[in-house]
Amino acid sequence: MQKVYSVGQINSYIKDMFDQDFVLSRIGIRGEVSNCKYHTSGHIYFSLKDESGSIACVMFAGARKGLAFRLINGQQVVVRGSVSVYERGGSYQMYARQIQLDGAGLLYERYLALKQELEDMGMFAAEYKRPLPFYVKRLGVVTAPTGAAIRDIINISTRRNPWIQIILYPALVQGQGAAESIAQGIRVLDRAGVDVMIIGRGGGSIEDLWAFNEEIVARAVFACRTPVISAVGHETDTTISDFVADLRAPTPSAAAELAVADVRGLLGQMELYRERMRRAMVRRTENLRQRLLGSQMRLSHASPGQRLNAGRQRLLELENRLQERMQANLREKRHHVLICAEKLRGLSPSAKLAAGYGFITDENGKRVYSAGQVRQQDLLTIYVADGLIRVRVEEAVPDGGSQYGKDRDGEDQYGEERDAGTGRADA
Amino acid sequence: MEKKETRGQDGLTLEEAFARLEQVIEALESREISLEDSFRIYQEGMNLLKLCNDKIDRVEKKILVINGEGGLDEF
Repeated sequence: MQKVYSVGQINSYIKDMFDQDFVLSRIGIRGEVSNCKYHTSGHIYFSLKDESGSIACVMFAGARKGLAFRLINGQQVVVRGSVSVYERGGSYQMYARQIQLDGAGLLYERYLALKQELEDMGMFAAEYKRPLPFYVKRLGVVTAPTGAAIRDIINISTRRNPWIQIILYPALVQGQGAAESIAQGIRVLDRAGVDVMIIGRGGGSIEDLWAFNEEIVARAVFACRTPVISAVGHETDTTISDFVADLRAPTPSAAAELAVADVRGLLGQMELYRERMRRAMVRRTENLRQRLLGSQMRLSHASPGQRLNAGRQRLLELENRLQERMQANLREKRHHVLICAEKLRGLSPSAKLAAGYGFITDENGKRVYSAGQVRQQDLLTIYVADGLIRVRVEEAVPDGGSQYGKDRDGEDQYGEERDAGTGRADA
Repeated sequence: MEKKETRGQDGLTLEEAFARLEQVIEALESREISLEDSFRIYQEGMNLLKLCNDKIDRVEKKILVINGEGGLDEF
């Protein structure tokens, strides 16, 4: 008789078989979501089905970070996880760790094919890229009228230039008809006349951004006469419109930065220009003024009037020096005269008489200054200060070394004055 | 490539006016230029500045929404 097992033993045995299976423990399953239930516990229960059948699935609350969107019935998804056995029900099911919308792979293949095709046609070529205008007055925007993209563009644009005219074409940017709506917006704004155009939208899944990968949008961008900036999704998202556009911006905000000139910067630059021109002119005129002053100075130095003045000046100086010299000479002479007068006073015979000396003459009135001039019994006259004395010579004794003779020699330099004095005394 | 920037009566865009201003200032700052030329160039620079100023129109504008037929409404 065969061995009999309990339900638990069998379920456990089958579970072990599943869990040991290399493929089942790490597997991805493609299918359509059905019977989807979000449980209050946070677990999600659903089934995956295709034409041939279905498989039960669960995503536990702890694995929810593997799901980036809301799961709804009918979605084509790829579920990754493991297939194992739920022993209590005796059923097997998929334990989901990650759920992605399907089609990404398919879409990516389409994206690559179209990109290659358009590139081969030359639609991405650099020579078709128009430069952005330096200063934009009218900015066209093709995006959804609600959403972050248009708000960001308005905020950045008006912050950089508060006087900019923004014209929005409210486009459908995802879902049915989005590509046609965007292409239409590009054509309408191109006809209306704007300086530059931003087309784009905020971030999203590849499906959300898909309209910007459609050929109709690419062709509208290529045909547009207005320079186009493409700003779709986030920095990491690249769409076909990014390649066709004249410029690619990583985000709508960045597109506004690129499109709209910072008007304060421009005004500041103009102020700078004005100041530089003013300084250059001031420097030039100041320079010329200095040169003029220098020339004036040199001219006036060289003028005949100036020479005349210089001559006058020199004349005046010479005159002054002459005057001074004359005055000095006069002073010296006067002083000399005074000295002489003083000396004369010392030599005056009358002063000598007053000091007690006498002046002796013979009978003929001739001055007697030597013992050899007289003989015995000669009558001499001695003049003294207050009169004269007549005397008769008793004896004359010549003596060469007499004191009187020496005195007379010492006063020889004053001989002239002495004679004058004598003359006066004689009179 | 065609420029969309609106041209002034003298045919200059703001960018061209800025570029010309750079030249004007360089000439003005050089020492070779005569006084007469410097006055003439200074005058040109001031005219260019006025042109730039005129190009930056200072009127705040409503954001407009354009429809498929090209009609404009306030946003």
